[in-house]
Formats: sequence, C-alpha cells, structure tokens
Amino acid sequence: MMLELPERILARHVRRTAFASRVVWLPMVLIAGLLVYAAVLGWLSFREQTALRVRYQQEARHDWLSNPDKHPHRMAHFGNFAFRPKPPLSLFEFGMESYLGNLVFLEAHKQNSVNFSEAGFSTGLLRFGEISLAMVLQLLLPLLIFFLGYGVVAAERDSGTLRLLLSQGISPRQLLVGKMRGLVGVVMRLYVPVVLLTVVGWLVLQNGRVSADETARLLLLMLAYAGYLVICCGVAVLVSARSSSARTALVTLMGIWLMLTIVLPRAAQAVGAYVYEIPSKAQFFARIQDDVLKEGDSHNPADPHYAKLKDSLLTAYNVDSVQQLPVNYSGVVMAEGEKISAHIYTNHFDQLQQVYARQNRLSELVAFVDPFLAIRQLSMALAGTDYATYADFQQQAEHYRYEMAQYLNALQIKYIPNKKAGPTDKPHAISRANWEAMPDFTYQPVPVGVTLTQSWRSLVALVVWLVGLVVAFRWVARTFTVA
Amino acid sequence: MIRLAFKNFIRSGGVRVGLALLLVAGVVSLFIGRQFLDRQAQAIADVRAYQQTDFARNIAIHKDELGLLLYYLKFSLVNPSLPLSGLSLGQRDVNPSIQSVTIRALESQRYDADLTNPANLLLGNLDFSFVLIYLFPLLVIACCYNLVSDERENGTWKLIVVQQPDVMSVIYRLYAIRVGVILGVLAVLLVLAVLVLNLPVDGALAGFAGMSVLYVLFWAAVCFWVTSLRKQSSVNALLLVTGWLGLIVLLPTLLNTYIVARYPTPEALETTLTARKGYHEKWDTDKQQTMQAFFAHYPQFRSIPPPKLAFNWPWYYAMQQLGDDDAAKSANALRQKVAQREMVSRQLARFIPPLHTQLQLNELAGSGLSNQLRFQTATGRFHEELRLHFYQTMFTDTPVSAENWNRFDVKTFRDNAPSDTLVGLLPLLAFILLFVGVGWLTFRKTAAMA
Repeated sequence: MMLELPERILARHVRRTAFASRVVWLPMVLIAGLLVYAAVLGWLSFREQTALRVRYQQEARHDWLSNPDKHPHRMAHFGNFAFRPKPPLSLFEFGMESYLGNLVFLEAHKQNSVNFSEAGFSTGLLRFGEISLAMVLQLLLPLLIFFLGYGVVAAERDSGTLRLLLSQGISPRQLLVGKMRGLVGVVMRLYVPVVLLTVVGWLVLQNGRVSADETARLLLLMLAYAGYLVICCGVAVLVSARSSSARTALVTLMGIWLMLTIVLPRAAQAVGAYVYEIPSKAQFFARIQDDVLKEGDSHNPADPHYAKLKDSLLTAYNVDSVQQLPVNYSGVVMAEGEKISAHIYTNHFDQLQQVYARQNRLSELVAFVDPFLAIRQLSMALAGTDYATYADFQQQAEHYRYEMAQYLNALQIKYIPNKKAGPTDKPHAISRANWEAMPDFTYQPVPVGVTLTQSWRSLVALVVWLVGLVVAFRWVARTFTVA
Repeated sequence: MIRLAFKNFIRSGGVRVGLALLLVAGVVSLFIGRQFLDRQAQAIADVRAYQQTDFARNIAIHKDELGLLLYYLKFSLVNPSLPLSGLSLGQRDVNPSIQSVTIRALESQRYDADLTNPANLLLGNLDFSFVLIYLFPLLVIACCYNLVSDERENGTWKLIVVQQPDVMSVIYRLYAIRVGVILGVLAVLLVLAVLVLNLPVDGALAGFAGMSVLYVLFWAAVCFWVTSLRKQSSVNALLLVTGWLGLIVLLPTLLNTYIVARYPTPEALETTLTARKGYHEKWDTDKQQTMQAFFAHYPQFRSIPPPKLAFNWPWYYAMQQLGDDDAAKSANALRQKVAQREMVSRQLARFIPPLHTQLQLNELAGSGLSNQLRFQTATGRFHEELRLHFYQTMFTDTPVSAENWNRFDVKTFRDNAPSDTLVGLLPLLAFILLFVGVGWLTFRKTAAMA
C-alpha cells in the first residue's frame, strides 16, 4: 500500500474538523441561506427590471411612431428615450446598479441627465449596502474563511500537538501546504454550488441564448473569485501560523477583515473624492454655455457666427435673401448649432469623466494592498455594473441623440420651405413615413477585451497577491517556530 | 483598585491604537463634512451667479416676447444644508439640493439628476455618522469582549472572587472605565465638530449627541450581556463580531430589499413617458379642446381670447400644463410609494438600532429622504406660484420690461420638519435596558464562578 502524503492527511483533517464543529455549521448554513436568497433576489430583480424597461421602451417607440405628419423640428423635441439595459451578470453582481440612472430623454440641442436611479427613491437603508451573490462571496465568505482558518496552526500550537507533528518528520512547508489545501477544499465546497447557481440562473434568464462575450465574462468572473478566495485562505493560514495563540490569530484576522472590507475601501474612495473636486451642476452647464456662446448663439438672430454662415450660403447659392435659398435656412442654422454644442458638451463631459476617473484611481491603487477592492472592481467591470460601462451607455445615448437631431435637421433642410406659413395657413409638415426610418436606440455592450484593458490594475493586483502569497508561504515556512 | 484597572486598560497597546485610530477617523470625517458644507455653499453661489447673468442675457435677447423669454428662464429653489448635515450627509449626495425649473411642464424637469460619481455613492461617505455607527461599536467590542473571560482564562478571576466581597461592583467598574473612555472620545469628537463645522449649540445638536451616546451605550450593553454568558474570549469575539455584522450589514440589507420589492416604482418611467406624450400630442389635436381642458384646471383664465393664429403662447403653455395634468396620476402614485418606503423603513428600523440611529441622525441633520420629499413638494409649489404669476402677465400681454426681474432671485426652501427627537431615543433606550437587564440577571449567576 502506498504511503499517503502528509499534506493530504493534514488537508483531510482540516476538512473533517471544519465540518464536524457545531460553531462552524451555523454560519455555514446562514451563508448558504443568504446565497440562495441573494441568487433568487438577483434573478427576480433582473427579470422584473428588464421586463419593465422593455415594456416602456416599446411604449416609447410606439409613441414615436404614432406621430402624424409634422414639422421635423417638432419631432426633434418629441425626442426619444434611451433605457439602460440591465446587464445579465447583474444577477450575480449588483455593483453600482442602484446608483446609476436608468432613463435618459434624448432631444435636440439638450443633453439631459440620466434619471431615476434606485438610490433617488431610497431611504437611508440602501447605504448599508445590498445583498448579492458577489457581496456574499466578497464580504461574508472571507469572514467565514477566517473563522474556519484561524486555528489551523495556532490551535495545534495551543494544544501542544504542533510539536508532536513536527517531531514526526513533517516539515513546516508540508504543514502549511496541507492546512492550506484543507481550507481551500472546505471553501470550494461552498463556492462550487455558487458557481452552478449563477450559471443556471444566468442561462435561464437569457433563455439559453448567450453570447461568446458574456460567456467569457462569466468564466473570468468565476476564475477571479476562485483566486480571491484562495488569497483569503492563504491569509488565514499565514496569520494562524505566525500567531502565538488561536485567540490572537482570531482577533488579528477579524481586524484584517474589518480593515480590508469596511474601513479601507471607504477611506480610499473618500480621500479620492476629497482631493479631486467636481464642479457643481450649475457651474458645469454655465461653462458649457459660455463656450457655446463664444462660438455663436444660434438662438440669437444678431449673432456674428451665424451672420457669416448666412452670407456664405447666400454667396454659394448666388441669391439675395434666405427666402430664395433652395434649402431651409433655419434647418442649416440648427444643424450647425447642434454640431457646435454637441462637440463642446462632449469635451466638458469627458473632462468630468476624467475627474471621476482620478477620484476612483486611489481605490484602484489601494487594491494592491487590499484584495477585496481588487476583486470588487474586477467583478463589477466583468459583470458590466461598473462606472466604465455606464459611461459607455451615456456616450452611446449621446451619439444616438446627435444622430437623431441631425437626421431631423437634414429633413428640415431638404423639405421645409423658407417662407414661413401664414397665420391661417396649415403649418409646414413632412410625412410620418420619415419617423420609421429613425431606428430605436439599442445599446451595444462593451466587448470583454475592452473591459479587461480598462480594469487591468485590479487584475494585476489579484495576480500580485497570488504571487505574493507563494513568497510569503516560503518565508513563513522557513522561519517557522513551534512556540 | 479602580485606578489600577484604569491604568491597566489604557496602557495596553491594542486599546491605544484603537482609540487613536478612532480619533483620526473621527477628525477626518469632520473635515469631509466641512468640505461637503463648503461645496454645497459653492453650488448655491454658482447657481445664484448663473441665474443673474443668464436672466440679464435672455432678457436682452427676448425683450419683445415674454412667452419665448419664459421658455428659457430657469428659476432655482435651494434646499439649504443644515450645519449638522456635515456630520450625517445622509441622502444629500444622492439627491440634488438645488432644483432649477422653467415654467414649462414640471414633470419633465423635476427628476433631473445631479452630477455625481456613482463610485463615491456606492462606497458611501466617511462622515461622522459612519464613524459612529460602524467604527465605535468595533472599539466597544474590542475593549469589552474579553472582560472577565480573560481573567478566567488566566486564572486570576478566582483571586478577585475570593478577595472582593461584591463581585458585581468589580464588573460594573471594569465596564465603567471602558465605556467612560470611549464616551470621552465621542465627547472630544463632538466638541471638535462644533468647532470645525461651526455648529450652533441647540436642541438639534443635543438630540444628535444624545442619539450618539445612547448608540455607544447600546453596544456596551450588548457586550455586557455577551460577556455575562461565561464563554471563552474567542467565542465572545465571534459572537460580537457576528452580531455587529448582522445588525450593521445583513439586517439593513435584507430590510432594504424587502422594501424595494414591496414598493416598486415603475411609476417613475410611466410619469416621464406620459408627460412627454401628454404635451406633444396637443400639437396635433384641436386647439380649442386644449384651451378648454386648461380652463377646466384654471377657471380664472377663462377670459383669454381663443387662439386664432397657428401659434400663440397661451396655447403653448396650456399644452405644457396638460403634460403635467396627464402625468399627475402616476406622479402622485410615485410620491406616495416613496413616502410609504420612508414610513415603513422608519417603523421597521426601530428594531435595528444601527439603522434607527442612522435614520434618526439624518432626520436631525435634515439630510434624509423625508427632507427630500418635502423639498420636492416645495418645488411643486414654487413652480406653481411662478406659473400662476406668469400666466397672468403673459396672457394679459404685459411687456417684458414691465416685470421687476430682480424679484426673481434664487429662492430658499425652509424645512419645517416635525421634530420627534425624544421619541427617537426610546427604541435605543429600550434595547439598552433589555440587554443590561438580561446581562445583570446572568451575571448574578455566573459572576462568582471561576
């Protein structure tokens, strides 16, 4: 009979004690219950929100199409709505979902805010956090790992069995590896069902029609969490190995957990927000307006920029007055105004985004000392519930708004006569057949490759932690003492 | 003996580090609160400056057409931040504190979001209320989890039991030292808060301080009960941290999901879509019908001559008005839903002390949802007053120059919040009595055991 490796025996021992202890079963059952609750919740919330948004998106489209013949500029103000679709993996990771607006009204010459975030309708409760599968894995499972793992070495030290083990020829390296394997084994027995739960929910929600991109996201997500949980196990074993008693190990690990999951993330973000200030809304739009007015005010008939535009048009078509132009003059003015104002708005909006990015940068850097932040950011990015994905939605919506406005301006330039309709005449209008030709807004998801390049810091931070863990294990094994 | 115990406690390294960390976090939180108040003041100054220059510019361009001028003019109403909100930012970072509205349909503008970085919102503020609600209990737990049990584990408890005739008084004193020191830190922070944030010393501040003290005492009472159970120190630590997790992370989360699921708000989307349709479809329907509907709402304007031209401003603003009228039903439903959420969460929060404390502090600081709801209502009134005034002048063809435009400065909303400070203290008081009572009963049985 082949002799079993000591690591394996130690690992099995860790698993057996973990599942035999009554103190452990209670939190395990609790966490398992929370996982199921979070899964059901994420599933229901995705289904409901998606149904709601699809319903209203269809209603909005129906309203758009039911407009009769009218002046194209009336349609430009009738406008369209962009509904932010809920990403499928939001069933697993809620991320910023509750703080992101869901609906933006798109009309000519005006960039509206994305409104109706869940947070706006929330009492102070939301600020205590939300429960999702990802939250359980990020926050609660590590605490359970620390509860399970604080004694793996230190308790043997307390009871004197550690000396016994080492005197039997087991090396400190074998001891640590064995304990680590055991702890990881226990945790994986909780993690694998979560993976299955997520995959099934995710498949069912999308009726089995999943894209390669989404699949890659899910796989990466599950892999990243496995890495994170291994890191947590490693920290538990190392602290246990270095502590003089089990109690010290427990208190240390609880301190670490509180620091990494509660204090540091908030502190890092708060400092980032403190250092980099964003303008007030009034100031932001005042600056945009100033820049637009510098270029030319399309609503002011005496504006020099538009006077020049008029002259050049009159020269180009060789006529004396705008009434004689073969194209609709006010349409040309609006198309020019839209071009200028959209460009300026985009510039200012990009600057604002950069300030946000700077505010968030500190958290991304702190991820190198706090694996919780690393997994959190990576998880939100992969699930599509992070700020980058939201910013992408805003960009796509603004792009659509611009296209819509210019499409209607083009129709006006082409079909609307320059001579104003008399007081008793029928107002100028174009056929409603033109409305159909403007397609509805559809959001194109960010490719996973782009997401990965955007969140490379968090990815590298996780890898650094894993590598650092191996180094730390070697060092602890080398300097290991029994007492 | 008590002096010795105090020295012993304060000299231990862990306690010093904990106290220092808490003080640092507290002071940082005060500066974050200071910055929040400064930014709010700046935002108000910005909107005031903007309104002045923008009014002058638009009046100069559209001096002949009041209807067109009013299409552009934005009137602002400010929800001022109380100095106390620097201690408890509440929902102030989520909801805009300034509403700028034209006299066009209100439902298409009142929900406009502020500029915010969602990452900041998600992680939450490091304000004083965070330090109080999350971190103070941890220090209480760190200082008290091994009381008595540590002495039992070291074997020194036996000596105390033998030497001291009244063991209970020893336990009280041990607690008094710890709770006293922690309350001292709290007091220092509150005094600093008054200085850093220029807080007026008034009833609201007293209520705020009272809530804070009771909250710390609540956690001390929980520790008192847990340590009375005669478990090992590590089990005490496990129980207390799990309790902290349950009360501060899990229960509020579960409650929030219940409330969100119980009172969903599809009316938000509904309102926006209806308001758009309600206004725009009037362009293509009979003008007289529109005017009749408008007169049904505002009989006082019945004397306006019917629109003869293809376009006139009374008709335009009547169309806008009907956008609001059409959306009124879903808008009211939305407000009711949110008010219900607020009411239910306050009722249920009474059973979860950290949650209750947070909501109560927000309430005192005027930074909670209820303040936002009253501000929303005030915005509606503000808009209605402007509307009525300008309908009158516009429909009677008053020239732009006849209006005293300086009168329309940025207006400030005064919140007359109903005060229930003392009632708010009761749930915490009840929990404190409960845990101290049960703890006392168990300690009477276990204290003398070695």
